[in-house]
Amino acid sequence: MAKRASKKKKAPSNGAAKPKLTAKDRRTLKSLRTVADQVVKVAQRSRAPHLDIPSRSLSNVRYNKRKRFIEMGSSKNRRELFNLSQAKSYMQTMLVSSGCKQLIEQGKTTSIRGMYYLLKHTIEGTKEETFDDQADCDPVIEDVEVTMNALREELHVYASNRGSLVGNILLTDSGDSIDCARMGSGGYAIPSICEPEVLQFNKCQADFILHVEKDTVWRRFNEDKFWKTHNCILTHGNGQPPRGVRRLLHRMHNELKLPVYCLLDNDPWGYYIYSVIKQGSINLAYESSRMAIPNAKFMGMRSKDYTRCDLSPSVTINLSDNDIKRAKQIAKYPWFEKKKAWQKEINLMLENGFKLEVEALISKDISYVTEEYVPARLADGDFLD
Amino acid sequence: MAKTTRKKKKKSAPTNGQTSSNGHSRKRRSATAQSMAAKQRTISVSEFFAKNRHLLGFDNPRKALLTTVKEAVDNSLDACEEAGICPEIWVQIDQLKQNRFLVAIQDNGPGILKKQIPLIFGKLLYGSKFHRLRMSRGQQGIGISAAGMYGMLTTGKPVKILSKLSVRKPYHYYEVQIDTKTNNPEILNGKGDGVDIAAKNAAAYMEKHDIQWERYYDVEGDEAPAEVKSGTRVSIELEGRYHRGRGSVDDYLEQTAIANPHVTLHYRDTDGTLKVYKRSTEVLPPEPKEIKPHPYGVELGRLVTMLKEVKTGTISQFLTQSFSRVSSSVARRICETASVSTRATTRRIGRNDIESLYDAIQETKIRAPSTDCISAIGEELILKGLYQVVPGEFFVAATRPPAVYRGNPFQLEVGLAYGAGTTAQKVSLELLDQLINESDARTLRQFLVTTFDGLGTDAADRIIKETELGTRKSPGRLVKAEREKLHAAMRNVNVSEGQSMQVLRYANRVPLQFKQRDCAITQSVMGTNWRPYGLSQSRGSLPSGPVTVMVHLASVWVPFTSESKEAIASYPEIEKELRLALQAVGRKLGMYLRRRKRVKQEGERRNVFLRYLGEVATAVSEINGANRQKLYDQLLRVAKRKTAEADAEYDRHGKKVDPTADEYGDNVLIVDQDPEELLTEHLNSDNTQQELF
Repeated sequence: MAKRASKKKKAPSNGAAKPKLTAKDRRTLKSLRTVADQVVKVAQRSRAPHLDIPSRSLSNVRYNKRKRFIEMGSSKNRRELFNLSQAKSYMQTMLVSSGCKQLIEQGKTTSIRGMYYLLKHTIEGTKEETFDDQADCDPVIEDVEVTMNALREELHVYASNRGSLVGNILLTDSGDSIDCARMGSGGYAIPSICEPEVLQFNKCQADFILHVEKDTVWRRFNEDKFWKTHNCILTHGNGQPPRGVRRLLHRMHNELKLPVYCLLDNDPWGYYIYSVIKQGSINLAYESSRMAIPNAKFMGMRSKDYTRCDLSPSVTINLSDNDIKRAKQIAKYPWFEKKKAWQKEINLMLENGFKLEVEALISKDISYVTEEYVPARLADGDFLD
Repeated sequence: MAKTTRKKKKKSAPTNGQTSSNGHSRKRRSATAQSMAAKQRTISVSEFFAKNRHLLGFDNPRKALLTTVKEAVDNSLDACEEAGICPEIWVQIDQLKQNRFLVAIQDNGPGILKKQIPLIFGKLLYGSKFHRLRMSRGQQGIGISAAGMYGMLTTGKPVKILSKLSVRKPYHYYEVQIDTKTNNPEILNGKGDGVDIAAKNAAAYMEKHDIQWERYYDVEGDEAPAEVKSGTRVSIELEGRYHRGRGSVDDYLEQTAIANPHVTLHYRDTDGTLKVYKRSTEVLPPEPKEIKPHPYGVELGRLVTMLKEVKTGTISQFLTQSFSRVSSSVARRICETASVSTRATTRRIGRNDIESLYDAIQETKIRAPSTDCISAIGEELILKGLYQVVPGEFFVAATRPPAVYRGNPFQLEVGLAYGAGTTAQKVSLELLDQLINESDARTLRQFLVTTFDGLGTDAADRIIKETELGTRKSPGRLVKAEREKLHAAMRNVNVSEGQSMQVLRYANRVPLQFKQRDCAITQSVMGTNWRPYGLSQSRGSLPSGPVTVMVHLASVWVPFTSESKEAIASYPEIEKELRLALQAVGRKLGMYLRRRKRVKQEGERRNVFLRYLGEVATAVSEINGANRQKLYDQLLRVAKRKTAEADAEYDRHGKKVDPTADEYGDNVLIVDQDPEELLTEHLNSDNTQQELF
């Protein structure tokens, strides 16, 4: 136990190679060091070290009616080193902290998967791994984020890129200027870190943002140059939007004053995506203030679209038991509970007994969604809030 | 129906002295009452048992050898104890031919009077023990004479007895055989009178006539050897089969040593190897007293007989004098309940009165029979005996207070040894070789299961799998390389997992080795739920684990299921006591196993922390540059304190477990195992660690 078996990259000790630390980095380092110092102090007094980690569960989030998004409560979970069931996760938390410290000092960033590989090794004298798989590591990274009160990017960790953007906007990403109107068929891949340090907006002529659920729908819109004809920014988040996409939407909404419209499937999953964009997620409730867009609007698909658009019954998908359960749960969320329109919407879906995907509109015509559906909704302003 | 009536008629015809006119039926009739009467005669006991030798334990040559040794040793021990001599027994088995053995057993007992020798060894059902209620090994007086008879039947050789009463008195030498027709002894030497060998020139005479006698006790150091002053030596030549393993002479003697810690046994086997089981105590068991029957154990018929036998007197006198534990006040109460006058004479008493007396006895509360008639081994000596013979880490013994079945007092004692490996793991390659040669098992599996104690079929199968030999392979056909493989497998395979509990049964200090399934003891062990005590057990079978249980039933009259004295009959009273005794040791075993588990858990807990402390210390020192080693040491200290606290907490919330050993009571022996050893043992087994997460 006396010596470490794993070889870790040691931070370069000579000052020459040391990258410049930003003020944010210094602040993060300081809070990391505070946690470590606490362990030393406690150990000196022969006490058991512990960490107080803000709880990231449903019970510790609450809906702020005034701000109209989910906020994290104040309850914390104590994680103790000398507790049989917590010993390992305590150790993992400290490991992740030291990993982040290395990254910050070296001025490098890594993916959460990279972090997992950086820290994964066999514990000395046993056959046990520090992390069994990445699923073991990811929640610990989130724990460190909330404990240090630092964003993931401040810890120099990012998630994999997911989601694309296209539209009339000029921006600078890590010093490169990018014209998002000239991104071809693939679009601009939204990075997972969209903080002002990395990404700046230069010029924007768009009138609104249209966020669609999936890549397939996004391609339809891009191919039809919808963003050109309707002068908007077109984004997708590949299902549940990752935090990079949400952060970018949030920044564009607030800094460029662009309204956000969402075109999602008419199913509980689509409702929940909308809920996350609008109110923030339970898991990342501590970042709601930087991600939630309370003014985002739900454009479709609507339960009434089946009759409104005269769709054929063969494009419907029957609700599963799980869907029904989930829909009822969502209807009970405090931010949906008081909204009659939403209650009506969800009830109608339950009455219908089926769900509708955006792609169902293709059955009318390949470009029905871009040429008729969305323009019509924009024209009559029929959105759910 | 018609047919049967006709038949009856035919049968009755000759008795009437008439000749039947029916020629047809005369042809069929082959015997008349007269001719039948000519054939009808008394069957001598010896004839009966010569034909039914299995009833006495001589079913096969293998068992015959054991039974012979057993009967002789039992008799010797009884004699020595009754005479107040610390028993020293010499057992010698010589192989004369393939299937012929000479068994000689000598003791240092009081010897036998000259005129008694032929009767004791040459007459069935002749003995001192049958007519009294007194705890002894032998009961009926069949055993040794039956062994002699078996020897005579199979080899034609007489039983040779040499007995000596004191130093100066001559040796009596007899060659006796039994006349099975009359059940009477026939003396072959000294013109039918036996031979007296004068003590003076005994040595020369014995050498001349090839008579053996152990003259001196073993000595330690340079002391002058003490002479064996008295004793009896009996040698029987018989057809038999010598083997080792379960149910062997070796096994029997070893088990005898466990239950008789005051006996020294010298055993020379067919190879000439001498094995000595030394006594661990000089104190003889308290001498059991002869008792009168207890009223509860007397059946109506016996009560009637007893009343007839007794000399005239009052009922009250009869009750107080013929039974134990009946005082005049108890007798009065019985009579009152039966509404019989206490002063009524026994002659006058009618059948109805006897019945109401019998009922009254059952209803009256009478003290249990006095228990000094039973000499239990005692918890301490059981522990000593077990510890000396059975390896293990935990020993516990329990002696129940005496109880009564059918008016016969009995007492149960149970000893338990935990942690004993099976003999299979300790066997040497040479011995295994020998065992294989001696075995008559047809398959390898059968060989393993029957030869080694505590080795279940599960374990045997695992061993065979390890050897990669076929299950049905005959053990005799194994070549040298295969035998080596088998030996290695027996050592390597963890047999304790599938090991089933080994049950050693004793009745009046005599080990019972056969008919395990029929015995009340085994049935009770199987019927007891051992799971709460930390052993695994499938329903209706012996629990598994490295456990040896010895159960001793001491009684003035042991209820055997048959004359071969191999299994104890299950009376409800005996079953109840068995259950209670087994539960008593079970509870303590459970306590021990729980405690052991806790020590293990404590180790595990510390272990979990230890594993992560290093990582935590490294991570922290990487963040803030603190001294890693110093931090690690500090955390380690906290870990030690914390685990101790956590364990203490476990105590408070868990069930009645105290860290002090006193709580076990007196009758427990724990062979200390280093707790650190347990820990390291645990550190190496990674599987259990994984289970924690």
